[in-house]
Amino acid sequence: MAEVVRIVEEEGIEYNNPIVIEGLPDVGLVGTIAASFIVEKLDYKEIGHIESDLFPPVMVIHDGKLKNPFRIYSAEDGSVVVVLSEVAVPPTAVYPITTALADWFHKIGTKQPVIPVKGLPMKNRMDIDKPEVFAVGNNEDAVAELKAKQLDLLEEGFIAGTYAMMLRECSKRQISAISLLAQCYPVYPDPGAAASAIETLKKFVTSLAIDVGELLANAEEIKLKARDLMQQTTLSASEMQKGMEQDMPIMYR
Amino acid sequence: MEIERRIIKATWAHNGNLEPLYEVEDKEDEILVTFDLPRVSKENVAINTTENMVEVIAKMSNAVCWERWGVVQKKITFQSFRKQIRLPEPIEPEKAHALLKNGILRITLPKIRRKVLVNIE
Repeated sequence: MAEVVRIVEEEGIEYNNPIVIEGLPDVGLVGTIAASFIVEKLDYKEIGHIESDLFPPVMVIHDGKLKNPFRIYSAEDGSVVVVLSEVAVPPTAVYPITTALADWFHKIGTKQPVIPVKGLPMKNRMDIDKPEVFAVGNNEDAVAELKAKQLDLLEEGFIAGTYAMMLRECSKRQISAISLLAQCYPVYPDPGAAASAIETLKKFVTSLAIDVGELLANAEEIKLKARDLMQQTTLSASEMQKGMEQDMPIMYR
Repeated sequence: MEIERRIIKATWAHNGNLEPLYEVEDKEDEILVTFDLPRVSKENVAINTTENMVEVIAKMSNAVCWERWGVVQKKITFQSFRKQIRLPEPIEPEKAHALLKNGILRITLPKIRRKVLVNIE
């Protein structure tokens, strides 16, 4: 039987125990905006894409070239891999895509953490000038690393969507994974949150020598460009139990 | 407290007006409506309300011009945001207030409430 999700790589790509940054669309499009800015500013090369019959029948054209909207990029030396998408992940594709990606991360020898970059929706985001970044680790090593880097941990609550399943699937394969969650607008694109997330990413990826000032300066234009994807993502998120992230778990503590 | 969230399709219109992303929260005593309005300053926003509707017209500080928009690669320009929303419950327009910060417009619309104290026999 054909695989539900296929990772298609260019031939001859060499990886160097890469750290993986995952920027699939989620609340505030934090990961997608951050991942897109990183690959552009650091001139990462496109090394592959993700295919699935579960994805919408959409291709994207950039500079006259036809591209798959689910793409994979890599640093020249193979030390950093970035996964991003220009279309929302359909709810039915969450399990297959996270499973396929975790298998692929294992195959390429990821020894450093896989880092899904996401947003933490805040009702009062409008009153927050500089979004804070929180983190979730999927095993003891990951949590120890977060504590060593003095990051604030999410202590209680539900997490939902692609990053929740990505953390789980990485756990099953003994891959360390850390999700970074920047405070963001629940239903509006948030370049400010993406800038905060990139600043925190620098603690894990020393080669991320980029100035987020440009991202902040162009925030309004980014918001305009991102509005259609934001709208798709919000509709998709409502089916991913994202609302549960505001709920309280029942366990007696 | 019941919170209702609605996102309606934000379309790219061809008349120079752009429909903004927006969110409606139906709270106990008020309706909160927020709009994402990049490139807009306070001076260029007009808000009109009736008991059942709120309308926002916001002029951008500089127009958005996509030189190669969509697969047709057509030049398209937007100068303002415009959106009219029908409210889920009647509100008191005179008591409405708004705040624009970092490109987000938040309009607070108090609901019409006629409270009667009920005695327990």
